This record gives sequence, structure tokens and C-alpha cells, in this order.
Amino acid sequence: MNRRQRLWVLLLGLAGVAALLVAAAFRLPTFGSDFHPYGDRAVHEALARHTANAIAAVNFDQRAFDTLGEESILFGAVLGTVVLLRQARDEHQVTPAPARVAAPVRRYALVLLPVTLVTGLYIVAHGQLTPGGGFQGGVVAATALHLLYIAVDYRALERIRPLGLFEVGDAVGEAAYLITGAAGLLAGTAYLTNALPLGTLDSLASGGTVPLLNAAIGMEVACAVVVLLARFLDQAVEIEEEGDRS
Amino acid sequence: MNGWLAAAAALMALGVAPVLWYAATGPLRRRVAAQNTGTLLVCLVLLLLARGYDRPPYTDIALVVALLGPVGTLVYARLLGPEMGDDPQQGPRATVFAVLATAAVLLPLCLAESPGRSLIKLLVIGALLVGGNIVSSKALAGARPEEADDRG
Amino acid sequence: MADLLIALALLLVAAAATAAVAVREPARQALALSLLGLTLTLLFTVLQAPDVALSQLAVGSALTPLLVLLSVRKARRRSLDRVRAEQQAEERP
Repeated sequence: MNRRQRLWVLLLGLAGVAALLVAAAFRLPTFGSDFHPYGDRAVHEALARHTANAIAAVNFDQRAFDTLGEESILFGAVLGTVVLLRQARDEHQVTPAPARVAAPVRRYALVLLPVTLVTGLYIVAHGQLTPGGGFQGGVVAATALHLLYIAVDYRALERIRPLGLFEVGDAVGEAAYLITGAAGLLAGTAYLTNALPLGTLDSLASGGTVPLLNAAIGMEVACAVVVLLARFLDQAVEIEEEGDRS
Repeated sequence: MNGWLAAAAALMALGVAPVLWYAATGPLRRRVAAQNTGTLLVCLVLLLLARGYDRPPYTDIALVVALLGPVGTLVYARLLGPEMGDDPQQGPRATVFAVLATAAVLLPLCLAESPGRSLIKLLVIGALLVGGNIVSSKALAGARPEEADDRG
Repeated sequence: MADLLIALALLLVAAAATAAVAVREPARQALALSLLGLTLTLLFTVLQAPDVALSQLAVGSALTPLLVLLSVRKARRRSLDRVRAEQQAEERP
């Protein structure tokens, strides 16, 4: 096929997609209307399982299997990055020089670190009650640790970051999700069914398996982000090609 | 018609829109400063929206902006420091504006809030906003080429 | 009122996205990208999707800039080292 023909095929495909999109757009319910067939059912199911945040109920109960897929994608992506960004044979490691950071910035960051960490954990823990959950809180908590790189230097971060433990934590988070799902099988129903006692609506221990799955995701995401950033930081700060500046 | 939502809309049109322009044009140091002001304004808009929609949990989003916004600016100051060394320094105007804007938005919000946990949360967010803004402007002003050090 | 807010947020997102595409240099692009993230947070909030807004915020405000800037730094250092090595090779008799 030459260039011209390929262009025609592309145009044909684009025209088809455009026609389908326009046709679908005209059949949509009007913007801002009161007709929400899916939303009404999802909220009804969420309240039936004592989960105040309907989104958490959708993510970790009604469609928990989808979330398992998403979690595995993140797990696989980080694994791939670890393999790709490892220290190659023609690279060597250098010790990073300590960075000079203005004193007020350093003090602020050291105060901010625990506050951000606690906020991240708070967002994970309240996933079934208020907006947020394992993913959001996990990323915030992992970002908190990297304040040490941003405001002190890389060696300070390395001291409080046992990378092996975080790699194990990543895998444990992924495994915890799979095993919690199997609880449904033990109870005699389907995989990932919400089979635990539901608790009282709007309390921390409500929603059955929702908070457990949420915590598993939080652990997996936080550890995955730390491991991912560690590989990027190693490459940008510590690893040099053979023959680079001596 | 809800006054809080109207204020949020005004802040979006008159605050966030110009910040977009400053962050996409001009010398690098000014762009980073604009991004810093942008996080502050977005946080204030989110606080107004939470109040306007009468949904207290939305305040959590503003809390996360107040925490992570300055962290983003510190990332830029740290890793782009060598590059913006020669750019003209920013005056204190941006910081003064940040403090005034925070006060102008948070005072009515605090007055409308009944004493309790949500009031404390508002005050914490305000402190984080002002503190974060001052510190990140300091970090931005401290980024000089002689401190440029591409390791560590 | 709600529609006005949604329209405003959509306009801001469109403007920020255009800026992120129009700016060509990677480090400056990271800045435009973090503003795009902030405007998206506003859009998701006015559309009453706070969970999505939080996700966008958590990823976009510090993590993405850090990843982008670290990659830029590594790539730049590599090309800088290559230039230096070539200069040294030329200086040698």
C-alpha cells in the first residue's frame, strides 16, 4: 500500500468513528437531566452494603474485579520499569554530592513530611466514607517521602527508604487483594463477593471487604510509586555510563 | 444563585486564566512562580466550591492541593534551578498577593463555618497555603546558577 | 450557575491543554502539564466527581513533574557528556 492509499483508509476509518460518535451523541440523555439509570442502581447497591462513598462501592465491591485488573496493570508496569531501568553492565554508580538547600525550605519540608504522610493515610483510611481511597492516598503518602530528596538530598532519602522492603510491600499489596477476594469463595459465593459483616453506615469499619481491598490498594500503590521513583532517581542521580566524567 | 459559587467562578475567570498565560510564556522563573500562584488559586476555588455545593468532604481536595502544590514548586526549583539562574528575580508582589487572596477567601469561609473540626481544617489549609507560598517563593529566589550541581 | 462553572472549567482545560501542546521544550512543557492537571481538577470537581479530581491531583501535582524532570535531566546529561567527549577527542593531537 502506498502513502496515498493508507491516507484514504485512515480517512475512511476516521469518518466511520466520527459518524458513530455523532449518532451516539444524539441518543444521549440531555446534559444535567435527572435520568441516571446506572447511578441510581449503583447508589442503591452502595447503601445496601453500608458504604457511604458510592464510588468506593463501585470500585471495590460492585466492580472489584475491574479494580483487580487495574491494580495488576500498575504492578506489571512498575515491574517493567524496574527491569528496564536497572543498572546495565556498561554503567557504574557514583555517589551523589550533597545538595545545598536554603534552610527555611529544608525546615518547611521536614515539617510538611509527616503532615503529608498522615494526610495520605487519612485519605486511604476514609476511602469508603469520603472522596479518595487507596490509589489517591497511596500516591500522596509516597510523594511525602520524596520531600526528603526535594528539600534535603538523595542520600537522606536513601537512608529511610529500604527499597527491598518496598518491593516486598508492593507484592504483598497485590497478593492481599487476591486473597481477600478468595474470602468470597470460602463463604460459598463468587470470587471477590462482599461476604464480610457490613458494619454501621458512615463508620470507619463499614462496607465489609471494601476497606480491606482499599487498604491493599493503598499499600500496593504507595510501594509501587516509591519503587518507580527510586529507579528514576537512580538513573538521574547515581548511574552514569562507562566513560562519563571520571 | 449562590454567592460562594459566584466567587469561585470569578476567581476562575480573573485568577486562574491569567495564571495560565503567565505559566506558558516568558522567562522560566516567572513561569514557575505562576504555577505556584496557580496552585494557591485552585485551592481557594476548591474551598469556595466545597462551601457553595455544601459538601464538606470536598475540602479534602483543597487540603491535598495545599499540601502538594508547594511540593510541586519545590520540585521545579530543585531540578530547574540551574536553568532559570539568569532569569530576573520575582518581586514580593506575588507573595503579597497570595497572602491577601488567602485572607480574602478564608475569612468569610471561617466566619460562615461553625466552630469545630471543619473550622480547624480550614485554618490548617490557610496556614499551609501561606506557609507553602512563602517557602516556595524563597526556594525559587534561591535557585542560582552557581549552586547548579547536576548531581545529588 | 452550575452550567456557568462547568463552561468556565471546560474553557480553562481547553486553554491549558492547548498551551501544553504549543509549548515545545520538555521542562517548560512539564509546567504547562501541571497547570493542565490543576484545571482538570477544577473540571472534575464542578462535575461532582471528587474521587477523580483527587486522583488527578495526587498524580499531577508533584509525581508527574518529578518523573518528567528527572528524565529530562538524564537525557541532557547524556548529550552533554557526549559533546564533552567529542571536544576532548578533538583537542588531543
